Amino acid sequence: MLAKLARKAFPKSLWLYHCNSGACNGCDIEILNVLTPYYDVERFGIKLVGSPRHADVMLLSGAVTRPTFPLVKRAFEAMPGPKLVFGVGSCALGGGCWFDTYNVSGGGATAVPVDYYIPGCPPRPEAIVYGVALALGLVDKKAAPVELKQVEFPIDAQLRNRAWEERNVIYKLLRD
Amino acid sequence: MTKDSLIRTLRDGFGPALTVSEGATPKRLVLDIDRTAFRAAALKLRAAGGRYMVGVGSDERDRRGAFGMIHLFAFDKDGFTVALRTSAPAETPEFDSIAPEIPAAGWTEREYMDLLGFTFKGNPKPKKLILADDWPAGIHPLRKEVPYNLVPPSAEDVAYELDEAPEGTTTVPIGPFHPSLHEPAHFAVYVDGETIKGCDYRGFMTHRGIEKLCQTQVSYNEVPFVAERICGICGSVHAAAYSQSVEEAAGIKIARRAEFIRTIMLEIERLHSHLLWLGVAGHLIGYDTIFMQSWRVREPIMWLSERLTGNRKTYGMIVIGGVRRDITPALREDILGVLKKVETEVGGLKDAVLKDTSIHRRTKGVGFIPREEAEAWSLLGPVARGRGVDIDVRRDHPYAAYDELSFDVPVMDSGDVWGTLVVRLLEIFESIKIVRQALDKMPSDGPLLTEVADVLPAYRHGLSMVEAPRGESVHYLITGPENRPERWRVRAPTYTNLQGVPRMLLDNQLADFPIIVGSIDPCFSCTDRVLVVDGRARSRRVFARSEIEALGRGRRKP
Repeated sequence: MLAKLARKAFPKSLWLYHCNSGACNGCDIEILNVLTPYYDVERFGIKLVGSPRHADVMLLSGAVTRPTFPLVKRAFEAMPGPKLVFGVGSCALGGGCWFDTYNVSGGGATAVPVDYYIPGCPPRPEAIVYGVALALGLVDKKAAPVELKQVEFPIDAQLRNRAWEERNVIYKLLRD
Repeated sequence: MTKDSLIRTLRDGFGPALTVSEGATPKRLVLDIDRTAFRAAALKLRAAGGRYMVGVGSDERDRRGAFGMIHLFAFDKDGFTVALRTSAPAETPEFDSIAPEIPAAGWTEREYMDLLGFTFKGNPKPKKLILADDWPAGIHPLRKEVPYNLVPPSAEDVAYELDEAPEGTTTVPIGPFHPSLHEPAHFAVYVDGETIKGCDYRGFMTHRGIEKLCQTQVSYNEVPFVAERICGICGSVHAAAYSQSVEEAAGIKIARRAEFIRTIMLEIERLHSHLLWLGVAGHLIGYDTIFMQSWRVREPIMWLSERLTGNRKTYGMIVIGGVRRDITPALREDILGVLKKVETEVGGLKDAVLKDTSIHRRTKGVGFIPREEAEAWSLLGPVARGRGVDIDVRRDHPYAAYDELSFDVPVMDSGDVWGTLVVRLLEIFESIKIVRQALDKMPSDGPLLTEVADVLPAYRHGLSMVEAPRGESVHYLITGPENRPERWRVRAPTYTNLQGVPRMLLDNQLADFPIIVGSIDPCFSCTDRVLVVDGRARSRRVFARSEIEALGRGRRKP
């Protein structure tokens, strides 16, 4: 449904605004990489712009740190609607390995409403292109949604075994 | 100055206040000195030709009731380092500032004012550096009683007070999000017409509290992977530097083959990083052809690293005691094939870049610093080598397998952005040469991972330097009793190079700002903090957002 809506809301070229909220540059250089000859997203009409006021989509990379928290919010507010936010990389998804340290507020969703997540540390350029294409309804989704549950500590051997079995079921599901 | 003559000079100068001891290896000299003579000794080391690396502050109240402070100096010509240590009582962590004479120490001192609550008497700019503007005073995150996940409530309308603008200048705010900066950082550039007359920097917006995290939450073996995520471009460098510092502190000797594989990984990383920089530099001066071409040439290297390590970046290859994956004969042929292709293509790119007059006009004479000042600011890597300072950790303080490899260190004395550009281009060829040599000289078999004892000795010090693509990365480590570092200090090359940027910007054109900042290879996009400068009244302040909204909305209404 969201893909259909996105196709209706963004019928023409998609302009991206890249917002680094405290990333390690890993995701940022992969975002830049999708513009270069091997991946060349301009063929889909996708273009990076310098100002949030020109953009349809915000690519958010990195955990939102304490100083950038209000700034990311303001960059999002500056974007004209309709707008989408993509969280690129593990840190934008949930804050990464430093999600709860003293200077980090958490993942991208703590500051702005994130519509699509592109996982990876860093995500491959193909993954970024696929993520944006998926949002625009250019390609179909390849995986069904799976729900995972974290096993609490101390680990119960029985629970752990069950978790492993469940995981295998998930892998089987993904293969089918 | 050799080690012995240095010790003699210092003994003559300070007498009983000074204790000299050997470090973990003969290349490390440790000097313990009384707090009162700390500043004098540091200045003497600088006068003797020592290059200021970084300072390390630590909270040691639980084990000896004092705070520790270390200044690190490198004697590059003689290949040794000096750690000048002192301590201050828990109640009064006060030291004399060395920043007026050694400008490169400015940030170190400001960092510990924030993180450990130290006082440096005489620091020329005692302002906040690392912590957020709304961080409450009196909470110092690196102190042991402060938990790693303490988040004090945020406050609104707290803004950083910028430096006083020089007379007759206008302030141009650049950042935190700006198209020429790939990372959030705020520069306030003071301009007279188009000429830059000064600059104030407010950065550290990507501070994620990694040092505190690794000192309190994870164990030795997990830190290399966190260290790789300090920087997504030169991650291996941090993993290698951390692993080497643990190995030095605990006296672990790793297998020779592992050292060669480390060297190869570090050089492959340099190749991709230099080509990345060349592209970004082209983009910053508005020459997107270079950006597209050099990233096209770079892409096979990314694919190669995926085949070698399993990931395009953030390799996860280097761990304490060695490396995780082998370079098999098939992979060896693969590397040689990719290198051959890259060498030919970079050759073409080099001619196109070096002979292009528009690049000459945008880079020659831009960001000029004379050699003496480059040394005073302790500039590193290609930024220093482009200004005639002949330093390279790989040659001066060899680590991994660099002692067996022969390579040239390109040095330019033009002192400007052009110099750094040429140095980086030539280094690409040197890296290719190093990888080829390393593949030739690598022992054909041997263990990849040396077994490490379960318990590492506590409170040992380890120092390691690794030449990152941007310059020297320094890691200082004090081992701890709980299977994790007690103190782990990371200093990336940009930390030092960025301190020299205001000097590089001086008297340059505002349009050259992106390439000068870009020449040190940092990263940055556009919610500006609004700055108002009233030229006549000489008063200037940062308006809080609510005030601006009130002003804007007020004006719209009749």
